[in-house]
Amino acid sequence: MDEEEIEKAVMTYLKKKGFKQTELAFQEEQQRQHPKTALHSTNSHVDPEIACQILSFSSELESNPAQYHEGYGKLRSWAYSSLDLYKHELLRVLYPVFVHCFMDLIAKGHIQEARTLFNSFREDHEMMHARDLQKLEGVLSPSHLEEMEFAHSLRQSKFNIKICQYSYDLLLQYLHKTQSVVMLGLINEHINFQVSPGQPTSISDDAEVVTLMGSGQDAVNLINQKEIHWGLLEDSLEERLEKAGALVPDSAKVDGEAREGEVEENKKRPYEGGKQGASLKKSKKDKVATATGKASRVETSTVSVAPRVKPELTLPSIPAEVEHSILEDLRNRVQLSSAALPSISFYTFINTHNGLNCASISQDGSLVAGGFSDSSLKVWDMAKLGQQTGYATSQIVEDSYPSDSLLGANSGRKSYTLFQGHSGPVYSATFSPFGDYILSSSSDSTIRLWSTNLNTNLVCYKGHNYPVWDVQFSPVGHYFASSSHDRTARIWSMDRMQPLRIMAGHLSDVDCLQWHANCNYIATGSSDKTVRLWDVQSGECVRIFIGHRSMILSLAMSPDGRYMASGDEDGTVMMWELASGRCISPLVGHTSCVWTLAFSCEGSLLASGSADCTVKLWDVTASTKLLKTEDNKTGSINRLRSLKTLPTKSTPVYSLQFSRRNLLFAAGVLSKNT
Amino acid sequence: MSIVPKETIEVTAQSIGINNLSPDAALALAPDVEYRLREIMQEAIKCMRHSKRNLLTTEDVDSALRLRNVEPIYGFASGDPLRFRRALGHRDLFYVDDKDVDFKDVIEAPLPKAPLDCSVVCHWLAIEGVQPAIPENAPVEVIRAPSETKLPEQKEDGLPVDIRLPVKHVLSRELQLYFDKITELVVSRSDSVLFKEALASLATDSGLHPLVPYFTCFIADEVSHGLSNFPLLFALMRLVWSLLQNPHIHIEPYLHQLMPSVVTCLVAKRLGNRLADNHWELRDFTATVVASICKRFSHVYNNLQTRLTKTLLHAFLDPKRAITQHYGAIQGLAALGPNVVRLLVVPNLETYLRLLEPEMLLEKQKNEMKRHEAWRVYGALLSAAGQSIYDRLKMFPSMPSPPASTVWKTNFRIIHSCSANKRRTPADLLEEQPPAKKMGNDGALVPLSNNSSDMETDKDPAALGDSSAGRSSPKDIRESLSERRQKRDQLEKRILRTPALLNQAWKDDLDSGRLLLLLFELFGESIFPFIPSPEMAFFL
Repeated sequence: MDEEEIEKAVMTYLKKKGFKQTELAFQEEQQRQHPKTALHSTNSHVDPEIACQILSFSSELESNPAQYHEGYGKLRSWAYSSLDLYKHELLRVLYPVFVHCFMDLIAKGHIQEARTLFNSFREDHEMMHARDLQKLEGVLSPSHLEEMEFAHSLRQSKFNIKICQYSYDLLLQYLHKTQSVVMLGLINEHINFQVSPGQPTSISDDAEVVTLMGSGQDAVNLINQKEIHWGLLEDSLEERLEKAGALVPDSAKVDGEAREGEVEENKKRPYEGGKQGASLKKSKKDKVATATGKASRVETSTVSVAPRVKPELTLPSIPAEVEHSILEDLRNRVQLSSAALPSISFYTFINTHNGLNCASISQDGSLVAGGFSDSSLKVWDMAKLGQQTGYATSQIVEDSYPSDSLLGANSGRKSYTLFQGHSGPVYSATFSPFGDYILSSSSDSTIRLWSTNLNTNLVCYKGHNYPVWDVQFSPVGHYFASSSHDRTARIWSMDRMQPLRIMAGHLSDVDCLQWHANCNYIATGSSDKTVRLWDVQSGECVRIFIGHRSMILSLAMSPDGRYMASGDEDGTVMMWELASGRCISPLVGHTSCVWTLAFSCEGSLLASGSADCTVKLWDVTASTKLLKTEDNKTGSINRLRSLKTLPTKSTPVYSLQFSRRNLLFAAGVLSKNT
Repeated sequence: MSIVPKETIEVTAQSIGINNLSPDAALALAPDVEYRLREIMQEAIKCMRHSKRNLLTTEDVDSALRLRNVEPIYGFASGDPLRFRRALGHRDLFYVDDKDVDFKDVIEAPLPKAPLDCSVVCHWLAIEGVQPAIPENAPVEVIRAPSETKLPEQKEDGLPVDIRLPVKHVLSRELQLYFDKITELVVSRSDSVLFKEALASLATDSGLHPLVPYFTCFIADEVSHGLSNFPLLFALMRLVWSLLQNPHIHIEPYLHQLMPSVVTCLVAKRLGNRLADNHWELRDFTATVVASICKRFSHVYNNLQTRLTKTLLHAFLDPKRAITQHYGAIQGLAALGPNVVRLLVVPNLETYLRLLEPEMLLEKQKNEMKRHEAWRVYGALLSAAGQSIYDRLKMFPSMPSPPASTVWKTNFRIIHSCSANKRRTPADLLEEQPPAKKMGNDGALVPLSNNSSDMETDKDPAALGDSSAGRSSPKDIRESLSERRQKRDQLEKRILRTPALLNQAWKDDLDSGRLLLLLFELFGESIFPFIPSPEMAFFL
């Protein structure tokens, strides 16, 4: 290696970087040294390897865009020709490298080259990352990289790749051998290898291969280690029924007795605690039962009874007659299982002229609400629908003059109640648990509260700055949560104009949300392809669920509080265990957007409704049991058993709702063009 | 490099008045335009997803623009997706077909129909996990029975009524061929010998049952579309007749689909569009079909006859209906039996004839066609009324017998008809009980005699003459009319005497006497052929 050559390279480097002082100093020193070094002194003998490195580095600094193309091309062909056993692991490296090659080229202004690179290799990743590629395709200037949230988060964060030791060694060897500094730099900078000893993981386990997070995997792990008290609320009606059923066997139980049962139950609790205290797992169970601030991680080996927790919110009281009817419903509940499938009553919207944005069904299925793109909310009383054939009563409720419009509207023969007040498409509607209120959220960034008894608008909640995509009443009523394009979810109570909590953290729109059965948590699904779980009391994010490949459209919480299901744009449904934050199993079957999910009341079935015009029923118990047996085996993937697929007649399913008696209600719009 | 070419930028710039845009600026702008476009599309897709659609609309783009605080593009709002057209001579250039509309045309055009209002219908998607095979659900089997898709959505009010469990409904190839052949014959070659053979086969072959839903659907379809095609209608009715005759076919479940078509062929205003079409014949034939349906299935469908008579009576009593419709209604009622005629037609006879008379007379009604039609109706009425009186009188013992013996005989008859009553209890449902009671001022005998008379219709030889009487030529009747005037005086004396005598004897006969008197007043002598000879002798 010629020393002068190196010096020259160093000079150009310094010049280029604008290190004037250093350059001068370097030149001075060079001149001072030159007479000596002219003799080729041995002490300044340069390690040829370093020289080579420096030289190649300098040649790269000339920012030769062709290197990216070449380097990536070589890496790709190497990965494809590698050993079969390690191939799939090595191939995983390609996507991050590809994406970053592209973005680097863009950042350096070689747009033409970036395009050719992108177009020549995009097919490799089309299957797995089609949506991301579509987004990236639009990036055409360095400024776009800064502006676009997706690109920005890519640049900021690292990819996580699980790889076995040998694959890792192979990769390093290759990079050294070829001396492709560009690739090495990229991989160092943007990929976080989780090297695991032993055999490579199986191909099917690739769900979490190229997940990517703004905050990085470590942060996610940290978050996911927080405690979650997923147990049900103590003193819930279900529990009361079980107890009351034991105490008062005959069903003719009046309300007073229900209260009595409650009292007795309260008396009983310490006794129970004492009994459990005798058992071996004394300390653990006691903590669970009393649910003090720092309850232990719940890992009960028995599935029998879910632990109970105290509500963190002050809960509204339930009117006596409502409570009575709920108890009656619970007593008459049909037990569903894989052998006993539910009956499904389907509400079909007709003549909507492509205007229906959402449909919602009340708990008992008697009311159906539809939110329309013409800003209206329409509510049908299905109990009345059967009776009125000739005459029909109709009411139009307007925000400003309810009495006037009531009079005027009775002439029009409509079967529904029209609620007008929003000034933009209505994207979501939800009934309060007892069906006396409706909340609707709209593109006008407001949420409105309507009374179904008075047929009038009660409150307009303003707080979001952008369209409100989803709104959900809490399981006990009074509180509700909303999610919006402004990337936040908010918790409200009905009696306050301002939100109680703002959950910020998602990297893109918050598209859907769902309350946990015990009201202490909400889950939100976002366009950033993650689902997060938030503590309602503290407003903190307590879980991040990563695994979906596209926008999350629907969420459902199991009634025992243990599991959560989420459905996405591609038709994948994923089942998560809240405590561990792990995906139990992806449910593959739908071919299009999963608009809605619902657990049956005792949690044994999951129903999913999709844009592919089907309702699917999944067996929850079987798959979770399966999980228990294979709990410790890593990489085992168990698919939830699909029990039944019920096709509708070209009617995408917008909404599903299990009644307390386990009758399943579904709603959808008849679409003729399919 | 960008999908937006430089030229597009230049053209756009020119269109907004910037003429001196440098090429460099255009080159720099192009990528940004593409980026913005993609950004808007991304937001639009979000809006589309939240509207729960898979089809991007202009509305979504507008709301995406609003999200980005950009003014939406006006003028493209539409509930339906835009229709693009290919530009001539370019392979991949499309444009929205947006025609210039003249204001005047728009203002003068009649208001378009208001779109149907949104509504919700309810059905069972599954019952305990099993999908019922109802029209609201997606078809379970590959070959769909057309009848199921054609079922009108009658169950919009609440829960569906007829939930049938899914049945594998596969037609064999032979049956399909058979069906195709028959329908082809009905539609195109109904006068051929082959068709007669086909009808015979339909009436006798076993194993045709799987085709019944298809046939009913076919009939309903063809009748509703081919009202002006007389041969087709006649062929269809023959088809119905044959199907009814077949002992191997259970046609009951499909009757509700079949009946409307059949009744249409009976009382439709126009059947066939040519003068030569003998729609009278078709109506007569259909009347017999209706009657046979009623006779066979009225015990299965309780309200079948009630509904049918109501429909027919309605057609008969509405003076606004065409005279052809009256004819059909009368024939239908007559075919249902003499009692129906006596209870429903005869009370209205006088009023009706008053209306009909001017139509029949040459001096009042100039239109030959109309007059002919009126005479037709007159004939039908006469035959119907005569049939009923014949039936009534036939059960009497001979008049000249002494009162005592007649009483005894009547008693015997009561016993006899009681036993008959037991035997034919299902047939009881056939009768219109409420009107019978209304008419029943003559005591308990009436319902019983109804039964017996009904029995007699079956073997009544005069019933065969029925249609011939109905079609008796107008000339004859006119002659009899003139005769009537001469004989009236002397006859009336006797008849007046008759009721008095009858009054003493049996109340039942009083009724018949009145009836006879009434009919005689209305029709004159032409009623006589229907009166059995002993009674005739008595009257005369």
